[in-house]
Amino acid sequence: MKKIIWGLAILLFAFSSVQAQSLTAEEIIQKVNALMNQKSVYAKARMTIVTTSGKKRTFEYESWSKDSGEKNLIRYTAPHRVKGQAILMLNNADDIWAYFPRTRRVRKLASHAKKQKMQGSDFSYEDMGTGDAFVNDFTAEKLKDEKIEGFDCYKVELTRKKGADSQYSRLICWVIKKNFFPVVIDYYDDKNPDIWVKRMVQKDIREIDGIPTGLKIVMYNKNDNTQTEMEFLEVKYNFPLSDDMFSERSLAK
Amino acid sequence: MKWRYLLFALFLWTLPALGQQVEIFGYFEPQFMGAKIGDEFYQLSSNKLRVDLQLRTSDRVSFGANFDYITYHGKTDWDLKLFMPENVVNEVSDINMFGYSFNPYHWEFSDRQFLDNAFVKFSFSKFDLTVGKQQISLGTGYVWNPVDVFNRKDIVDPTYEQPGHNAIRLDIPISSKWGITSIYAPTDNWKADDLLLKLKGNLGHFDFSILGIQKQWKFTDARIVDFINQKFYQLPTRRQILGFDFAGELFGLGVWGEAAHNRLLIENDDWLDYEKQLAMTSLGASLPMSLERNFWEWVVGADYTFDSQTYVMAEFYQNYFAKDDYNDYRFNDWMQYYMAETKTLSRDQCYTMIQHPVTDLLSASISGIYSFSDESSAVFPMIVYNLFEDVDLTFIGNFYLGKEGTAYAKNLGNGFMARAKVYF
Repeated sequence: MKKIIWGLAILLFAFSSVQAQSLTAEEIIQKVNALMNQKSVYAKARMTIVTTSGKKRTFEYESWSKDSGEKNLIRYTAPHRVKGQAILMLNNADDIWAYFPRTRRVRKLASHAKKQKMQGSDFSYEDMGTGDAFVNDFTAEKLKDEKIEGFDCYKVELTRKKGADSQYSRLICWVIKKNFFPVVIDYYDDKNPDIWVKRMVQKDIREIDGIPTGLKIVMYNKNDNTQTEMEFLEVKYNFPLSDDMFSERSLAK
Repeated sequence: MKWRYLLFALFLWTLPALGQQVEIFGYFEPQFMGAKIGDEFYQLSSNKLRVDLQLRTSDRVSFGANFDYITYHGKTDWDLKLFMPENVVNEVSDINMFGYSFNPYHWEFSDRQFLDNAFVKFSFSKFDLTVGKQQISLGTGYVWNPVDVFNRKDIVDPTYEQPGHNAIRLDIPISSKWGITSIYAPTDNWKADDLLLKLKGNLGHFDFSILGIQKQWKFTDARIVDFINQKFYQLPTRRQILGFDFAGELFGLGVWGEAAHNRLLIENDDWLDYEKQLAMTSLGASLPMSLERNFWEWVVGADYTFDSQTYVMAEFYQNYFAKDDYNDYRFNDWMQYYMAETKTLSRDQCYTMIQHPVTDLLSASISGIYSFSDESSAVFPMIVYNLFEDVDLTFIGNFYLGKEGTAYAKNLGNGFMARAKVYF
């Protein structure tokens, strides 16, 4: 009997590894996309920018996301200089509004604003959340599997589709095999796909509400020799969130 | 004067007593300005303390207020005639009274302390109601907003905060994309109260609004001086506006625009009174202000961010209330421009800006303005440096290049402004 159970276990293991091995690049990215775009997400984060001269600047913000990342709201809570400023991104960041509390003005921004740095950090607004961009804006190709940051990973290259408005010509993602978590992403220049501009590394990966979450993200800017660290102080997934939250009315509150 | 200091101290002292929900924040802003006008170099500095407080008593009720305290030092009294061409200045003369001669055309920066905003906001599921002195921002333009009858932006620093206005504002969202805003702002006469109705919507990647506005608008005839109260004569009019604005994206560029048709209504009695007052001056009644009764204003703009993070923008503004030949600029045109009664002195102008984040902490920009009507121009280089977490340093230069008599003439002077902003 024991032999049969062991035999079945070995068979199951072999089957699952064959299945994992046989996943296409598109399937891997679909799984990454599903993992990264939960129905709703709330996060409270602290962002620390380290400049070329070694000076540090710290920002804190709260963010809400709904409909698998299609709607995003970011509101700064610190420092006083930016407190109350908010960014609303709808339709996978194709529509962007910014709110400035000092003038109580809401300004509609064109999608090129996605390229702008988030408060001078190494994260652009595009990096912060553009919904299904991995699937819609890029074609995926599987490269040779690699071990990175201590994890066995799929290595997938994403090349920008013609007409897509991403600011990156290609991305290389290292995706942890066991949970499809993108632990490292390399970003390449808009015009020249050979120029490596940024690397994002997700650290301190823990399960929150059953979902693997990197509680620390570091973005290294290869061009400017700067880095930005994002630390998540609180994260919640898949809770009821009203559509009213993602409106101009809510932005100015 | 002492009671004001006491009142301010009392105001700050009582804030914590309002409870833990009160948020107190604001900034301190020392500023130094220098300008070379003719052969002289003038200096004016100021210190501004702005204390904001916000209180949310429940999900439905919130209160906001700002207290501003500003002191001025250096050259605080400016002769406005210094900034006007000679032929225009000759239209008026100093006032002679009891053997003394005085110049009524001067602007004095005197220390001020005031409640800039103080409002209560009631938020319900179907609408928001804001009552009290509040900031009102209308339109999509960066420098000029034809539909914003409440504010005029400073061309040197268009994003600086605007003052509050006493009003009742009702915002009714119809859906996530559509909404109605109405504003009622009382004036000195209920017949001339300010009214605004705005329908806001969204189509594709475009936001747009349609607006109907009635606003009291007073025009200064600075040639008629009330010696006792040291005021200029003001002709009251009612300005009716039908306008629209939009903002969106076209071929990858951010685009925006506004247009407003203005109609000026002047009561017969008011005009007769004006003519009577004018007749009593040395000018006689023969030269009243020439006011366009029906005119258009419109603005269009576009912007783009390059991959290098360089941001460029351009805006064109046409104001049919203003004149297209600088030889026609009169003394009152200049005074109305300085008193923010009109948005521009010349009819057609454009504004351009290029901005680049030089480092993570330093941003540099240069903006320029060019009048197509009188071919004058000005450039404003600007540097913003984040010295510490909550401290910004700003340096702005202003160089006027036009010939004398034009809207952006050399005789307006070349200068700079250095400003520190410490947030708390």
